[in-house]
Amino acid sequence: MRLIGRETLVALLLLAVLLAVNLALNRAAFRPAAWGTLIGLAAPLLCASVASMPSILGGRGGIDVSIGPMMGFINAVIVKTLVVGAGVTSPFAIVPAALLLGAGFGMVNGALATIVQVQPIIATLGTYLVLAGATLALLPAPLGGAPAWLKSLAGSWSALPLLLLALAWGAFTRLPLHDHLMATGSDDRAAYSAGVPVTAARFASYVLGGIAAGVAALMLTALIGSADPTIGPTYTLLAISAAALGGVSLAGGRGGLLAALVGGADIFLLQNALTYFNVSTFVLQIAYGLILVGSICINALPGALPKRQAA
Amino acid sequence: MPPEPVRLTVRSLILRVRAKPFDETLRAGEIVGLAGLEGHGQEEFLEVLAGLSRPRAGRVLAGTGGVAYVGPRQAVRHGIAYLPRDRRSTGIFPTLSVVDNFAIATPGADRRFGLISPAARRARFARYREQLSVVASSDAATITALSGGNQQKVLLARVLALQPLVLLLNDPTRGVDIRTRHALYGVFTALAADGMTLVVLSSEIEEIVRLSHRVLVFREGSVQERFDRAVLRPDRVVAAMFGKVAAEAGAGRPPCA
Repeated sequence: MRLIGRETLVALLLLAVLLAVNLALNRAAFRPAAWGTLIGLAAPLLCASVASMPSILGGRGGIDVSIGPMMGFINAVIVKTLVVGAGVTSPFAIVPAALLLGAGFGMVNGALATIVQVQPIIATLGTYLVLAGATLALLPAPLGGAPAWLKSLAGSWSALPLLLLALAWGAFTRLPLHDHLMATGSDDRAAYSAGVPVTAARFASYVLGGIAAGVAALMLTALIGSADPTIGPTYTLLAISAAALGGVSLAGGRGGLLAALVGGADIFLLQNALTYFNVSTFVLQIAYGLILVGSICINALPGALPKRQAA
Repeated sequence: MPPEPVRLTVRSLILRVRAKPFDETLRAGEIVGLAGLEGHGQEEFLEVLAGLSRPRAGRVLAGTGGVAYVGPRQAVRHGIAYLPRDRRSTGIFPTLSVVDNFAIATPGADRRFGLISPAARRARFARYREQLSVVASSDAATITALSGGNQQKVLLARVLALQPLVLLLNDPTRGVDIRTRHALYGVFTALAADGMTLVVLSSEIEEIVRLSHRVLVFREGSVQERFDRAVLRPDRVVAAMFGKVAAEAGAGRPPCA
């Protein structure tokens, strides 16, 4: 099994360029002592990108647009309900709660997309709206009060959750379920004939995405140190762009954790470099869009020509 | 010599509306050829045996005990494996490597301490690669880099890895070069000699006649004619495919000449 596919090479190259640009602009922010803060800044987007990847791998239009609001809702529940409301601050309660909430929403998405067979984009758009609304209902205005251990996950300990996420994904790639998901995404009819449990694999991909969204919500809470009802939904489109940029094919069956992380890092570094110039967020969005379309076109170029000859 | 154990029993099977019901018993170690003009029910029959589709009526039972099954996964559990016809659309996974394409029907077999070991998987594939003489530059290459014949061998390795009792082959040598074709015939014959039941659907009469111990000729969704090895001749099979029953020496009887 290869760690990085050909599709990720362009994103990797872009990562090197953006890293060089960022270093040239602002060496202080990239010195080793600041790495914790830097990773903490990037972590919510990196995790969100990872969260949007599994359902895309399953193919046939599999996509989860509810990742952002899911992060926002879990963020609100952690701060408003658990910490401020119930006075629970232990990591042994907050971390499982975040992951379980994510898994639960993933199950709802998975059930809608695979068992009820609503188009995944519509099903998760539904959960997007419900969760975005529920977050505002639960928490009309921002509220502070994340516990200190959680805030440290945006500082000196910021690499730890990412490492654990990578380890968990590494273990997942060594399970039959991963093979089933990749085969399903590659060609679901062939998968069915080969005896692959296609529906179960797709269902599981939404649950995995939900769990990763739980991690992303923890990292978001760590970063902002509070609950904010409006910030979550902004992550959805960035996360999907990041995954696509990293080489997670929207046709399914191609990509993985590294692709999602590289794409996420690209978007983050681009954001970082442009905000250094005080570029407005509108220009920032234009830049994301151009980079995304550009890199996917570059990816499509070498494959498109020989394929047409072979057909 | 006692008869070989029964692998599959078909009871008053009706494949489509207004088709005649038919019975069939498939035993260990035999190669049964399915012939017929395109779309006369032989492919439906194979898919019913594979659990991929349901017949209109009748039953298919696995093993000597006669257990009914539904769906490809249950079929596999009863030792019935299916090699699909159209490699490109229902066989290979174009984005996966050769070795992952091989292992997809049996991914759990390479587990070491709960996790899949890529080394164990490559080692498991190596046995089949040798048995079927697969030519691939690397096991990690994507399957689309292989020739049609070698892709087909990888798919055959995939179903053989299930260690089936019954192997259902849907036009297994379609788009495969002549040398590979002969190598595959050798493999099929050896598998049958080891006790596997093979059901081979082929669009080529010569292939059917050459391989099969007996042949079922399909017409209008039912078995029109049965030929044993002794009376198996291409012209008879073709005649039966076109529905000319009485004109030729019938099935089961010795040839008139």
